[in-house]
Amino acid sequence: MLPLRQSQLQWRSASPAIFLIAIVLVLGGFGIIFQNEANYRALRNQQASVEAQVLAASVAAAVDFDDPVAAREAVDSFKVNPQARFVGVFDRAGNAIAAYDRTERRLGLPLSRLPPASTSSVRISAPILSRGQRVGTVVYEVDREPVSRRLSRYVVLAALVVLAALVIVTLGLAQAALRRANRDLHDRAEALAQSNELLAEQIEERAKAEDQLRQSQKMQALGQLTGGIAHDFNNLLTVIQGSADILCRDDLSDAKRKRFAQAIVQASTNAAVLTSQLLAFARRQPLRPETLNLNLLVLEMTELISRTVGERIKVQTDLAPNPCPVTVDRGQLQSAILNIASNARDAIDGDGQITIHVREQTSESGEKMMAIRFTDTGSGIDPETIERVFEPFFTTKGPGRGTGLGLSQVYGFASQSGGEVTVESETGKGTTFILRLPCSGDAAEESLESEQPELESDPASVLLVEDNAEVGAFAETLLSELGHSVTLARSGEEALELARSRHFDVVFSDVVMPGMGGLKLAEVLAAEQPALPVVLATGYSQELAQSGTSGRAVILKPYRLATVAEALAAALQEHRARG
Amino acid sequence: MRRRALIFVSAIGAAMLSSSAQAEVTDLEVKAAFLPRFARYVTWPAAAWRGDQPVSLCVIGDDPFGNLLNQSIAGQQVDGRNFVVKRLSSAAGASDCAIAFVDGSRTDEILQSLAHQPVLTVTDSRFGSERGIIHFVIVGGRVRFSINNRQAREDGLTISSRLLALAVGVSG
Repeated sequence: MLPLRQSQLQWRSASPAIFLIAIVLVLGGFGIIFQNEANYRALRNQQASVEAQVLAASVAAAVDFDDPVAAREAVDSFKVNPQARFVGVFDRAGNAIAAYDRTERRLGLPLSRLPPASTSSVRISAPILSRGQRVGTVVYEVDREPVSRRLSRYVVLAALVVLAALVIVTLGLAQAALRRANRDLHDRAEALAQSNELLAEQIEERAKAEDQLRQSQKMQALGQLTGGIAHDFNNLLTVIQGSADILCRDDLSDAKRKRFAQAIVQASTNAAVLTSQLLAFARRQPLRPETLNLNLLVLEMTELISRTVGERIKVQTDLAPNPCPVTVDRGQLQSAILNIASNARDAIDGDGQITIHVREQTSESGEKMMAIRFTDTGSGIDPETIERVFEPFFTTKGPGRGTGLGLSQVYGFASQSGGEVTVESETGKGTTFILRLPCSGDAAEESLESEQPELESDPASVLLVEDNAEVGAFAETLLSELGHSVTLARSGEEALELARSRHFDVVFSDVVMPGMGGLKLAEVLAAEQPALPVVLATGYSQELAQSGTSGRAVILKPYRLATVAEALAAALQEHRARG
Repeated sequence: MRRRALIFVSAIGAAMLSSSAQAEVTDLEVKAAFLPRFARYVTWPAAAWRGDQPVSLCVIGDDPFGNLLNQSIAGQQVDGRNFVVKRLSSAAGASDCAIAFVDGSRTDEILQSLAHQPVLTVTDSRFGSERGIIHFVIVGGRVRFSINNRQAREDGLTISSRLLALAVGVSG
């Protein structure tokens, strides 16, 4: 900034100097011309004066003796000079004795009546002297050099001077223009900087506003989420609470007790589905992937789907000729298929059809995929809604009819399994969901149903680790029911101490606990007592979702009696097989 | 306008006076005017001029000029000297004459006695055929003169070429 200002100051002070130089140059040039002209005039006068004096000397005798012929001869010698305009010889009285006039108008005029010389000529009067005596006068008038010739002598010099002055002035003007342009540029740069600053401010403000908007959207979504959860859980809790209240009565028949107990089991199952769907959308659900044949899975589910969608909707399947196996969580996949089917059911008003195609595809990146395509004959989805169908708790269904979590679960499951889900729809022409899952190299398990596990197992000493008192008491009862001897630890640290002091057959630990968590405990125990099997239980674990279970058995909360029995039996069996 | 007209009238009047005056100038007056002027084109030997005495213009023999000569020398100078007119009857006493107009019956005799003396002798063809160094003649109605330069040199006089150029005839 500073050097620019300084240079501007220099230019500003230099500009008048340039004009001054130009003016001085022109004045100096013309001064030289005028000086030359004055010198020329003086020289011309002197020359004419000498010529007049020579004439005066030569005509002295002729004047003295009144001899016009002799005077005439002397005068005529001037005719050869083209610049001679007038030559006159006059006697002492001023009478003309002889004269030469180029224009012949002044011939014979006495000296007193001679018209004054014109500006274009030089007139010299010289006395005719004879031995000190003045006998007459000679008048000699001669042209100055013609103006045109005089001008031509100076025109080159004048042109050079004017040209130089013009060059200087032009340079000065160019510099002034440059200076102006410089200043404009500077101003523009400043304006640009200002507008840039303004823009930056606006961007910042906008970012703030966007942040606020996002925050409010988040709060809105959170409200929607908590509201939805509260609503669904309240319904289920009503069933559980009511049933439990009735079960507390003493005078209850066995049939009634069993019915209400089953109602509680059913409500809890529904609640577990709800939470697993939430976790699936959050992609924080610990998956238990197994290698599956999709043909078999779909076939297996056809009956279930038909029952879900009702009698008026026909379910058709079109299976792949040679499906490649996929490695996914069976339960989650089943949930996803049911969710899509439920969605189709709700879109169909009255009679309709759902077609499920299973096909092998190759993705854009060249990967082999299995695609399950669900096509329904429903009302379709309008373009605005289609963008939001995978949002959690976004639903077009009335209150109590849908949770808004179904398609969210599909989306979360597909993403977490390395696949994707897409939707195509046109209002009035039905909807197509395509669920793509990557093929795996492993061979699929051919069995349709897993073996019914042996509920009863050999009694073992179990170290139960659970920080929650209620869940701890419940699990203790559950494990005791299975015939095991149970020791309850309230934290990972306590469990570690107990494991070091006593012998246990198996450790059954919660994952999420304050202080030492289940995973850390398992790690430490694996190092200290590799022979001691560890079974983990969790409702939600970010760590598990991220790093997996490292081959350890994991069961999901809320767990059922059978699940726990199966997991413990498997762990003890494996342990015994190794040992 | 009136002033210009006045100047014009007076200029015409002056021109008329001048021309009428010139018409009245006689040959004799011209000759009387010429005589002192010859002095300005003639160089005398240094010995012939003494001090700052006036130049003697002599008329020897008959005097045709009368008072004209006295008028013509008025205001005339040569090298700052004035003229003085002397009238002589013979050559005796003519030795200090610078210019001598000779006329009369004894012209020849006087000229001879003045020969070899630094005197510019002047004669007039109207009065006789004898010739001095300068001899007046009338040519084309104007007074002209011839010059006998040999005689002048013999007499120790040098005549300016400018005067010789004006002469109608130069001998010697």
